[in-house]
Amino acid sequence: MIRLFLNKTNLRYIVTGVLLTSLLVLSVLFIKQRKAHELATQPRALPSVSYYPVPKSMGPDSAPIKIIEYSDFECPSCRFATEVLHQLFATYSGKIQLVYHHYPLTGHPWSAHAHQAAECMHIQGKFWPYHDMLYRNQREWAAMPEAPVPKLMEYAEGCGANMELFLNCMADPAVTSGIYAEKNEGTLRQVNATPTFFMGDKRYVGARELQERGENDIRRVLGLPELSFSAPPEPQVDQTPKPPTAVPGGE
Amino acid sequence: MMKRESSYKILFLGRLLIGLIFAYSGYTKLVEPVENFQAAIAAYEIIPYVFIPWIARLIPWIEFIFGVFVIVGYLTRISAAMLAAMSWSFVMVIALTWLMTGSIPADCGCFGEGSFVHFPAYQIFILDVISTLIGIRLCLMRSHPLSLDALLGK
Repeated sequence: MIRLFLNKTNLRYIVTGVLLTSLLVLSVLFIKQRKAHELATQPRALPSVSYYPVPKSMGPDSAPIKIIEYSDFECPSCRFATEVLHQLFATYSGKIQLVYHHYPLTGHPWSAHAHQAAECMHIQGKFWPYHDMLYRNQREWAAMPEAPVPKLMEYAEGCGANMELFLNCMADPAVTSGIYAEKNEGTLRQVNATPTFFMGDKRYVGARELQERGENDIRRVLGLPELSFSAPPEPQVDQTPKPPTAVPGGE
Repeated sequence: MMKRESSYKILFLGRLLIGLIFAYSGYTKLVEPVENFQAAIAAYEIIPYVFIPWIARLIPWIEFIFGVFVIVGYLTRISAAMLAAMSWSFVMVIALTWLMTGSIPADCGCFGEGSFVHFPAYQIFILDVISTLIGIRLCLMRSHPLSLDALLGK
């Protein structure tokens, strides 16, 4: 039987198949390894990318969990992710630090304006209230037929901004460069969908990943038992809208 | 005779087309972090979350390897059947997602996010139906000229 199976033609087939498959697998693994190597070396070689080199962070520096977020103000999934993050901050109070990075997607027409405005508010020390306001009112400004600068100004005023500084900053191309430098840094880390989160080496793309896999990883670091997500969701999760999925960069 | 030749030429182009689509689609996903594809699968809300990491790791390899097999014509009938089955399963996933949730993802997630091609799910639905038909037709052919199969004598 074995001799019949291993006739000359079949043997040629098997050898060809093994060689071909090995070649394909090794090529992919080689490219992946090269990319990983580039990834490990490139970001460290980058200069400080921020125009205003103070990180947009929330939570204590001593927090054992450090989350880096790449997000877009116009993306619905990122809006949902802020709700997930608020829940995590409430549940694991004092244990998490979040650092925000701009990742304006080109497919979102008003995203660049919103990120510029948020960075301008960061310079005035009001990034997080403005961040929350942008997401809370996302449906309003993102749906506008023209650039929503008057709305962004209104929100800035609502957050108590110095409007003269804000307007000067809105016209400053150096701020725009800083935002896109942050985005490029994300691209080097192979971020191409928003929101993308990093906790150490681990990557979570989309609010759902952060909510399910991410929370369990947080619990693991804190020495808490893992949650089961096959169980019915808790009431407070039920009240939140269904998580939209991550938005691809499309670039 | 002439008709048979021209019909094979069309099928040969079809073979290259589905092979290239699947090989490229698998490759772009393989060289990217797997989490990006996981998020793309999660967009199809009917797929249970517990399976997503496994699917995200397995599908790109199948697409890439069988896509190349179809291009070079190695085990062409089996490889074409595999791609046809995958295309049909994607058709079903898109259709069921639409039927059960009332919406389909804006981006199909079929190519890695960093790829230069992006299709909305409804366009990929049509492409998958065409791929299924080509795959079935290739699978039904007894011999495949211009293939490794022809060289290896099967």
